[in-house]
Amino acid sequence: MSEELNRVDTAAVDTEGGLDPAAAAALLDRATDSAVRQFNVWPPLLLVVGAVLFPVAFGVVWSSVRAQHPYKGPGGGALLIFYAIITVWVIVVGIVLRRATVGVGGRSARQRKIEALGFAGMLITVYVFQGALLHEGVSHAVVYGVYPVTAPFIFVGSASAIVAAAREEWRTVRVAVPLIAVALGAAFAGPVAVWLVIGIGIALVLLGLAIAQVRGRRVRTVA
Amino acid sequence: MTVDELDPLIHVPARLRVVATLAALPDGDTLSFTRLQDMIGLTPGNLITHLRKLEDAGYVGVEKIGSGVASRTSVALTILGRAAFTSYSAALRDLLTGPTPPND
Repeated sequence: MSEELNRVDTAAVDTEGGLDPAAAAALLDRATDSAVRQFNVWPPLLLVVGAVLFPVAFGVVWSSVRAQHPYKGPGGGALLIFYAIITVWVIVVGIVLRRATVGVGGRSARQRKIEALGFAGMLITVYVFQGALLHEGVSHAVVYGVYPVTAPFIFVGSASAIVAAAREEWRTVRVAVPLIAVALGAAFAGPVAVWLVIGIGIALVLLGLAIAQVRGRRVRTVA
Repeated sequence: MTVDELDPLIHVPARLRVVATLAALPDGDTLSFTRLQDMIGLTPGNLITHLRKLEDAGYVGVEKIGSGVASRTSVALTILGRAAFTSYSAALRDLLTGPTPPND
């Protein structure tokens, strides 16, 4: 036992007994609910924030390309706003992740580091491949439209779903699979509409997850 | 099933909260003493006393890394502790709603 735990504390209060089953069940529910909420790296509020930010980010780009005939790609100003919004989202996710995982060590922490490196590497390959498509003379509609909007979600989503399914982390699977479906569906919408479809699709998936989480809280394990 | 048959090590408010909090983590994860204390809202001495009882029963594992100011104590539910918590939750549910009928 650690030195800290060996320390004798005469002020320690050890309330034994006196807990009826109903009170114990209520306490168990509250403690579990509180812990699950505090360890949750994707709380409902964060999902709602994402459901607002993503349609705005993709909508800004869509508005910059919707009148293009032929399709050339998003304008610099629209991309600047897009990446600014995505940066805000990444910062917010980082803050929430930090708060939820502070003090948590062991297997999950190691897995998160490996996954972060893996997904970063995967995103780099997605965009390197975009360069290869451009180099091969593929149309701007694909290189600056359908591909960069959908490919990250399809590839990273698929990898996430496979890893999560292998670990039986079904919550992650329930996030990844709808995102892949949205990205695949958006790929058929064409280079202009793809921006709007994926923005709205992501928003709906995030809102659905937020609602599912809030509903899940009401159905507790005991009693 | 009676109240007396509930695991007395877990059937104490503070320890029930400790075990339920640790059980919310995935298997194989640990939690720092300070975060656990922050989440449970117990004094350090009180938490230490409860953790010692749980550790003596083999329900939690306690590990101290480093020394002095930089030391960090982490706590985790053991396999035995997780099983005991699952049994306790099932027993509590049975007490409140009646035993679950066995599958045919």
